[in-house]
Amino acid sequence: MIPSKIEKVLLQVEKPSQYIGGELGSIVKDKSKVDVRFAFCFPDMYNIGMSHLGMKILYSLINERPNYWCERVFAPNVDFEKIMREQNIELYALESLEPIKNFDFIGFTLQYELSYTNILNMLDLAHIPIFAKDRGNELTQIVVAGGPCVCNPEPLADFFDIFILGEGEEVNLELMDLYHDMKKRGASKSEFLEKACHIEGIYVPSLYDVTYNQDGTINKIVPKGNAPKTIRKRIIKDFDNVYYPDTFVVPYSDIVHNRASVEVLRGCIRGCRFCQAGFIYRPFREKSAKKVCTQVRDLCENTGYEEVSLASLSTSDHSQIEPLLTELIQYTDKEKINLSLPSLRIDNFTDTLLEKISGVKKSGLTFAVEGSNQRLRDVINKNVSEEEIMNTCRIAFEGGYSSVKLYFMMGLPTETDEDILGIMDLAKRITDLYYSVPNHPKGRVQISASVSTFVPKPFTPFQFEPQDTREQIEHKQSLFANNPHKNLKISYHAPDTSILEGVLARGDRKLSAVIYDAWLNGAKFDSWQEHFHFDIWQSAMEKNNLTMEFYASRRRSYDEILPWEHLNYLVSKDFLIKEHSKAVNQQVVTKNCRLQCSGCGVNKEVGRACFEY
Amino acid sequence: MSINGKNPKATDNFLDIRVVFTKTDRARYISHLDLYRTMQRAFKRAKLPIWYTQGYNQRLYLNFGLALSLGFESFCEIMEFRIVDDIPLEELQQRLSKVMPEGLKIVKLYYPVMKMKDIAFSDFSVRFVTENPQDLQKSFDSFISNDSIIVYKKNKKKQLVETDLKPHINLLSSTIEDNVFKIVLRLPAGNTLNINPTLICDKFISEVNIPIENVYYTREKILSVNGDDFI
Repeated sequence: MIPSKIEKVLLQVEKPSQYIGGELGSIVKDKSKVDVRFAFCFPDMYNIGMSHLGMKILYSLINERPNYWCERVFAPNVDFEKIMREQNIELYALESLEPIKNFDFIGFTLQYELSYTNILNMLDLAHIPIFAKDRGNELTQIVVAGGPCVCNPEPLADFFDIFILGEGEEVNLELMDLYHDMKKRGASKSEFLEKACHIEGIYVPSLYDVTYNQDGTINKIVPKGNAPKTIRKRIIKDFDNVYYPDTFVVPYSDIVHNRASVEVLRGCIRGCRFCQAGFIYRPFREKSAKKVCTQVRDLCENTGYEEVSLASLSTSDHSQIEPLLTELIQYTDKEKINLSLPSLRIDNFTDTLLEKISGVKKSGLTFAVEGSNQRLRDVINKNVSEEEIMNTCRIAFEGGYSSVKLYFMMGLPTETDEDILGIMDLAKRITDLYYSVPNHPKGRVQISASVSTFVPKPFTPFQFEPQDTREQIEHKQSLFANNPHKNLKISYHAPDTSILEGVLARGDRKLSAVIYDAWLNGAKFDSWQEHFHFDIWQSAMEKNNLTMEFYASRRRSYDEILPWEHLNYLVSKDFLIKEHSKAVNQQVVTKNCRLQCSGCGVNKEVGRACFEY
Repeated sequence: MSINGKNPKATDNFLDIRVVFTKTDRARYISHLDLYRTMQRAFKRAKLPIWYTQGYNQRLYLNFGLALSLGFESFCEIMEFRIVDDIPLEELQQRLSKVMPEGLKIVKLYYPVMKMKDIAFSDFSVRFVTENPQDLQKSFDSFISNDSIIVYKKNKKKQLVETDLKPHINLLSSTIEDNVFKIVLRLPAGNTLNINPTLICDKFISEVNIPIENVYYTREKILSVNGDDFI
């Protein structure tokens, strides 16, 4: 069953069970009865990729079609990769254990910028030409990508045939149907791509020419032939009834989030100005409480998972969150299933909410504060007051929690050293609060603050902002080291990975050559500390006569043509400009979408208002 | 309902049930720790009234008789669980069988007779895939007839100690079929002493000059002190 070439080496590598497939829930089909084969490639290792909810949804969705087969592929660890290259084992999919180079679609999900070199590495391991132009015109081996980073996929434009914008439940099948149809009629790849670009949400990068000005900024993005001028993302209008799997593939080994997961809402009403997800997943849509409970039940019964998590950008913003939790907890308590609720906001955390989740194993509470004082929080539109923060911490302490984790960012627009020192001050005030609460738990309070470096992202009001330079970041981090606080544990990491992320996030097509050169010189698993080599990237930039500063720490003017100008995520650039000005000039907030429509443009694109006012 | 519980803290009534299962094909690569997790989820899917450990962090109670090395196949793995309601064995077997992942099959389910600590021996078949099985067999014959076979084995304190395996090895058979040289070894197993067949075979392979394509290990049987089948 397992090809003997692979079997012979399995016991020489760590965790061989990640390379063999056969897990409960995995779907094996008779390939003679299959018309279209899709290799879903997650550009990181099994134990990370198996937590990805998007893959689970598309895997089940595609496999519902009897004549389509979706299989999973993950990046091999370095020890197995070495053996694969030595023994000429081509990258294979887990269900059939067959090499993916012969598949119809090779699909990647772009989850984070630091995974880009893994994509090239996997193509290479699969013996698929890395550059799209080298793959020939036969209708096969279509390399596609979806996921959040597709909102600016330009640095990867040279490697992909198609980018899929937005939500994939409908468009992926439409794309495969078109492929199947045209393949039957003997069409070529270029004929297929020219037809595909007219499906809403499908972006064919080879059908667009990008020209540049002297200063390196973009002059024009011009479609070829009759390719559409702009590409609009897909959204699922009826979120309650959209396809959702009732079972997952259950891994043997432990993975990062080994649990059942149910989406409860898409989009976000808050409009925090640094947050890309909050803008690119609009409009806000909820799943009914009834649907959520049914899906949780089905998943847990079919998989046997002992933990379930509710997934969304801001779960406590669900309008029916309390009745939902009441019904859900009845089920999970009875079945001895642990309920995990990430993504709770700090400003609507009530004691009823705490009471509901307190029966569950106490894994600690985490809140995203982001800015240490009101001025800064207003700039970033994190509408959370000091009173609300204190109130929430009080509820937590009275409820038996003696540790709280807070997320902060540094490098935010208009930030000063005082704002950084304010993190320590805030921690002190929370510590004082702990000891002042009459029935706080025994023992010391532990406040941990995780401070990450801000990266300006496309489709946010801060997309115009420069990222802090290395010197600025290191200076701010030295403020932590020089001002320790006894109950506060502050964690932060070296700026290199954030800077690289800053380059790639708002990068253009010129970076394709850089990514290729970096990979060629050994860059891989860049998001893993032990494998990240910043100097490889610096050399690659130099070799291509580019600088990191141009991409990461340069301020963009409002009328600059940005690399993602031709991609429409429903939120208008005018709105982003207005929000940016409100942030840095006036330092005032914008109310959340439930309270007042901010005119971001989504309602015009979608044809109806997001909420009734 | 009869009570077989041994845990003095238990306030529930429960029955001990022993399961014999195979671990073959791809399931060979499930590590022992992952096996616990895998079984845990299978039990949940079967919705059987299983006994959980007491205390704040309740876990499904599962007791594995012997650990099986990663990559080994087995036709006779043992685990025990506790059932809270008296469900007929046949029904238990049926419901569990339905939810087992590939490579793990239930052979039989019964009320334990002996205790886990009565496990004393384990029979392993070792298959050497080679172009030259006859020469390999001859080499093994002379290897095994040495007065002593010294290896370095980790003791309970995780220190490497020099151990003579010879007195513990019982070669039950040595046969050839096509390009496979197969031996069956009976080795100590259980709480007192555990000898892994790889200790013997790795030493053999390092001393022999004949190219070996692959080696497959399979646990065939588990036995008690008297050499009887463990039940």
